[in-house]
Amino acid sequence: MSEIISVITEFIRENFIAGRSDVTLDPDQSLIESGIMDSTGVLELVEFLESTYVIRVEDEELVPENLETINNILKFLQTKGVS
Amino acid sequence: MHLVHEFLESSCATHPEKTALLHGGQFYTFSQINRLSNKLAHLLSAQGLKKGDRVLVIMENSSENVASYYGILKAGGVSVEIHERSTPSEASYYIQNSGAKICILSGLTAKRLHGLDIPVIIGAGLHTDDPLKKHIPWSDLDSMPDRDPSVTIEENELAAIVYTSGSTGAPKGVMLSHKNLCSNTASIVSYLGLTETDRIMAVLPFYYVYGKTLLNTHFMVGGSVVINNRFAFPNAVIKEMVDKEVTGFAGVPSTFAILMNRSIFTKTAIPTLRYVTQAGGAMAPALTKRLIEHHGNTSLFIMYGATEASARLTYLPPERLVSDKLGSIGIPIPDVQITIRDDAGKELKLNEVGNICATGPNIMQGYWQDLEETSKYLKPWGLVTGDLGHKDEEGFIFLTGRKKEMLKIGGERVSPKEIEDVIIASGLVHESSVIGRPDELLSEVPVAYIVPMDEKTFKLEDLKAFLAERLAGHKHPAYWYLRKAMPKKPSGKIDKETLKNELLHEMHTA
Repeated sequence: MSEIISVITEFIRENFIAGRSDVTLDPDQSLIESGIMDSTGVLELVEFLESTYVIRVEDEELVPENLETINNILKFLQTKGVS
Repeated sequence: MHLVHEFLESSCATHPEKTALLHGGQFYTFSQINRLSNKLAHLLSAQGLKKGDRVLVIMENSSENVASYYGILKAGGVSVEIHERSTPSEASYYIQNSGAKICILSGLTAKRLHGLDIPVIIGAGLHTDDPLKKHIPWSDLDSMPDRDPSVTIEENELAAIVYTSGSTGAPKGVMLSHKNLCSNTASIVSYLGLTETDRIMAVLPFYYVYGKTLLNTHFMVGGSVVINNRFAFPNAVIKEMVDKEVTGFAGVPSTFAILMNRSIFTKTAIPTLRYVTQAGGAMAPALTKRLIEHHGNTSLFIMYGATEASARLTYLPPERLVSDKLGSIGIPIPDVQITIRDDAGKELKLNEVGNICATGPNIMQGYWQDLEETSKYLKPWGLVTGDLGHKDEEGFIFLTGRKKEMLKIGGERVSPKEIEDVIIASGLVHESSVIGRPDELLSEVPVAYIVPMDEKTFKLEDLKAFLAERLAGHKHPAYWYLRKAMPKKPSGKIDKETLKNELLHEMHTA
């Protein structure tokens, strides 16, 4: 579980907040409200999840409950059988 | 109406208790917004703001943002709004360049923007240990009067400075007067047929001129604006469009690419949706066609404009889009004249490609403190937009491309847009962007950046075969880059400058 969190956190750090010292990353913080991800960022994240965990994310699943925070992403991956 | 804040005041006088704004679960009436903006105007005056003084606003779309905009104007100030994710150094640049006297931040943006050296009014939501130097809390508005301030303003006085980033150099400030904005707003209201029954879903930021037209047009007619700052989750936006019974939606090409390719938009009926507008760059005709097919009962307005034109210059009547003018940016909006000219200003014949130039009451006053740039773009024959195009026999205008973006391949001028359109027409690609790469032999060759529709099944050979049947050989991209996403500007447009910089970096490090 903690391994998945660290993989996701590393992806977000590398792709969205590299070089930004003003941003902290908390598993329950909204990645949108905090300005870390925008609409393009969400799509990049989804591509990353699909290729890393060999899952398919349906259009209907692109919702805040699944992708808003790192913990939401973790729960979503669990529903997809990733552990 | 001759002054921008009269849109709010007039709707407040006509129907004070009508809903003006909806944001999340909150509703705001015209009366509430008007009182809040009056209080803000009095607070600005109490802080020493004089007529013509600039006020920098760094806020996401919200009721505070809207009240700030109209409040600044009521106080006689000039609104300078920038992207809510601006860094402290960017904010400092805009303060210095515009000479802003006061800054207004939201609770969210104030958390990131430390050390601004001018008085800062901060919206609700910022708690203790504020690191800003000259902090004026939003709660100071409570003690301010809510009556209209008595500042006399003329229609030719400045209302806004809107910064626009060119392809080179620092951002330039476009000076827009009350008259510029009022005339453009009235024209848009006229061709969209907006009334007080209209309700727009606003996902575009209000600091962007296209986003601001959504606010001003609906406040002019007494309609309503639904704010949703979370287009990162388009499905939630679509559901809110259904729930809030919106009649209009506005987006840039990437907005529609996401809606059509990565959301439930094509599977969702939005019965109240009367019209959709698209501006902010040319959308590939293939995507436009799909949009029409899926929402056939909704009118699609393709529009064209420039920050220097207060926003809007042309629109394509929806019935002509469907019947015979797909690919055109349409006809001039009311009160605007468009001509096609050569570099010396001579008007060209029908179907000849040249500079798209515009005149009308919406054309800017010039670039802020930059006479040199102003003289380059404001000519005796009008605003030189920097775009190339031609007019057909019926006066419909077709865009060929940005003058600065045109490629020169072996002596031939090639529009990147032509190549991008064919790539999108393949149906294999979600988004594409074509730029030039210096080449010893041909002087330049096309380089294509693409985001495949389905990464797993995508085959570049299929796309190349599709292009081979439709484009001359010199227009075939010499290099292909597959990306997971395109770099975007805050407005949602593809950021070609970032792609060019990446390419140059790669060439220099190769």
